[in-house]
Amino acid sequence: MARITVTVSSFPIACGDLLDRLAGDDADCGGVASFTGQVRAEPGLVALELEHYPGVTEDALTRIARSAADQWSLHQAIIHHRVGRMELGEVIVFVAASAPHRRAALDATAYMIDMLKTDAPFWKRVHTQAGSHWVEARDTDREAAAFWTDTLASEDA
Amino acid sequence: MKITIRYMAALRDRMGQSECVLDLPDTITDSAALTAHLRAADPAAEALEHPSIRLIRNDEIVAKPVALETGDTLAFCPPFTGG
Repeated sequence: MARITVTVSSFPIACGDLLDRLAGDDADCGGVASFTGQVRAEPGLVALELEHYPGVTEDALTRIARSAADQWSLHQAIIHHRVGRMELGEVIVFVAASAPHRRAALDATAYMIDMLKTDAPFWKRVHTQAGSHWVEARDTDREAAAFWTDTLASEDA
Repeated sequence: MKITIRYMAALRDRMGQSECVLDLPDTITDSAALTAHLRAADPAAEALEHPSIRLIRNDEIVAKPVALETGDTLAFCPPFTGG
């Protein structure tokens, strides 16, 4: 059974510590992959603010991580998402997977970040020098999640 | 039937409140009937009927329409934008 770690917190994410927890922890794992999402500098952007639905969010992230672990036979899966206000360059989300082979770790990591964008109840608000507004969902995010849903469905068929 | 309604993120701004408790007529038994009822009282509630709106009923993400029972909490959610 894979070890699943899901955290939603307003505190900064210690990506290095989380990665160290995977790398070197399990000699049967030949691959550890990770993705780090951070606040990107854009004209006028001051900060991002993330809100979520406590309880439901953690359940959704756990479901995504467990699905990845089952699909790619992971040894560990980590999803750590920050909420609250974040300044430019601060980490919003860290996702990582360990597996016997690199392809499984890489694909599982891509799957988890793509799915959490559309399946976990987070909402992003942008604070700019001119005011604040909610971020609208992007078609590219929906397409990325649909790619995995379609791909895994065709593999199961 | 008493229902607690929550409006999340942009829908909270749109509806001007984060949460309310409604005592609904017995004819309202699912989320589709509820949104029609809300729209009749407040045109801003038309936003709740958009196909992209997700529902969380009693801490579970559910497909639309969902059946409602007294004591339920139903959250209207704009599309998720995490990550």
